[in-house]
Amino acid sequence: MAAYLSMGEAHRRIGDYLSRVTNAISYSDGAALASLLSVSSAPASTPLSDALAAFPDFPRLAGDRFPHLADFLVPLLRAIHSHSIQRFADAYSSFEKASNAFLQEFRNWETPWAMEAMHTVALEIRLIAEKADRELATNGKNPDKLQAAGSFLMKVFGTLAVKGPKRIGALYVSCQLFKIYFRLGTVNLCRSVIRSIETARNFDFEDFPVKDKVTYMYYTGRLEVFNENFLVADQKLTYALMHCNPQSQSNLRRILKFLIPVKLSIGVLPKRTLLERYNLLEYADVVTALKRGDLRLLRQALDKHEDQFLKSGVYLVLEKLELKVYQRLVKKIHIIQRQKEPAKAHQIKLDVVVRALKWLEIDMDVDEVECIMACLIYKNLIKGYFAHKSKVLVLSKQDPFPKLNGKPV
Amino acid sequence: MAVAPADAKAEAAKMDLLEDDDEFEEFEIDQEWDDKEEGNEAVQQWEDDWDDDDVNDDFSLQLRKELEGSNAQKS
Repeated sequence: MAAYLSMGEAHRRIGDYLSRVTNAISYSDGAALASLLSVSSAPASTPLSDALAAFPDFPRLAGDRFPHLADFLVPLLRAIHSHSIQRFADAYSSFEKASNAFLQEFRNWETPWAMEAMHTVALEIRLIAEKADRELATNGKNPDKLQAAGSFLMKVFGTLAVKGPKRIGALYVSCQLFKIYFRLGTVNLCRSVIRSIETARNFDFEDFPVKDKVTYMYYTGRLEVFNENFLVADQKLTYALMHCNPQSQSNLRRILKFLIPVKLSIGVLPKRTLLERYNLLEYADVVTALKRGDLRLLRQALDKHEDQFLKSGVYLVLEKLELKVYQRLVKKIHIIQRQKEPAKAHQIKLDVVVRALKWLEIDMDVDEVECIMACLIYKNLIKGYFAHKSKVLVLSKQDPFPKLNGKPV
Repeated sequence: MAVAPADAKAEAAKMDLLEDDDEFEEFEIDQEWDDKEEGNEAVQQWEDDWDDDDVNDDFSLQLRKELEGSNAQKS
């Protein structure tokens, strides 16, 4: 329990905070202003929040002292107070009001001096919205604050993503939007944001800060994975991997979590040391299965980690690797045959493939295997033709198992 | 509008599902780092020459044994 706080002391503390905010604005001190707006990371009890609790008339204090910024300062204090007493839905509503007022002011400032503060507001509104939604859901109410934060941030994005010196701040806000849309599952809303960023004629992507570029490439790379554009996904996620802060192990791991399935799809395998280093051993058996042509192992691996793979959305990508595993298995059968009887090695009886699959505890009849072989031929994983009557796969004498050279199946 | 406790639990569970481990951690607000020319060493930890003709691994040897067994049965 906080020690007794006199009215005078409470009054002084609140006035002091408000002065610091307004001074930062007067002197265009973006860093100072930003540091005063970190509502959600504040501990439950700070000297300021104690003062607000002890002095309930603080809105009048703010409004009287700083009338020209009252629209911003009053809801800001309300937000700080509500957050400190863990009323997060209330804190959100107040913070959204303060943020709207702040955005109005920001639009009027010609230079981007307050960009750091604007970014802090963008981050805070998302974090407070998340707390608010958790509170609403727990109380059986509709959690709609994160969605509202998204709407607000689209306004901010619209303000920044125009020609001019404020554009440099747009990528950070786009990343906050991605985080919201991904959490809400409304990733289709990313499209218009991406279009704004990527079709700009007067701004070079490389001019954005590296931390924002990395985050942006991570999210847009993930979208390309969802859309199965594996070559583009590879480019974007590799960019993120290359330029990510090397100290940020957890973010590097996140990038790899999505990059690995992409690489597997284009025929590139991660080294075991990489999987160990970043604790991504759920992919280890998948890699082994591909190397061996071991269909049973692939299915086991997918089964074992099904929940994990489904949750991150890579399950379907990994499942599609089955065809590659089939290719590898048939290739091995061919090589083994070639060692015994080179003359006949380019003919593979379907029965032999059935037998190999049975050994892998995969029960398939000749017709089903014929189907798979037809698929492999169609997708150019095997060059050759199928002699239907004799149930023999006849391989091309030249390069029967083409490497796709980075192109996905 | 009040909702029955069971529904509230379901909502809370839904929020848990949304605890997104895949959400990128925020970098510090003005964080910069040494963005090296050659990038992180993680970009070099891949192999694309694994699809070779080597059938001397355990799996391939067992496969060979299995196929030879079936041939013996046939003749």
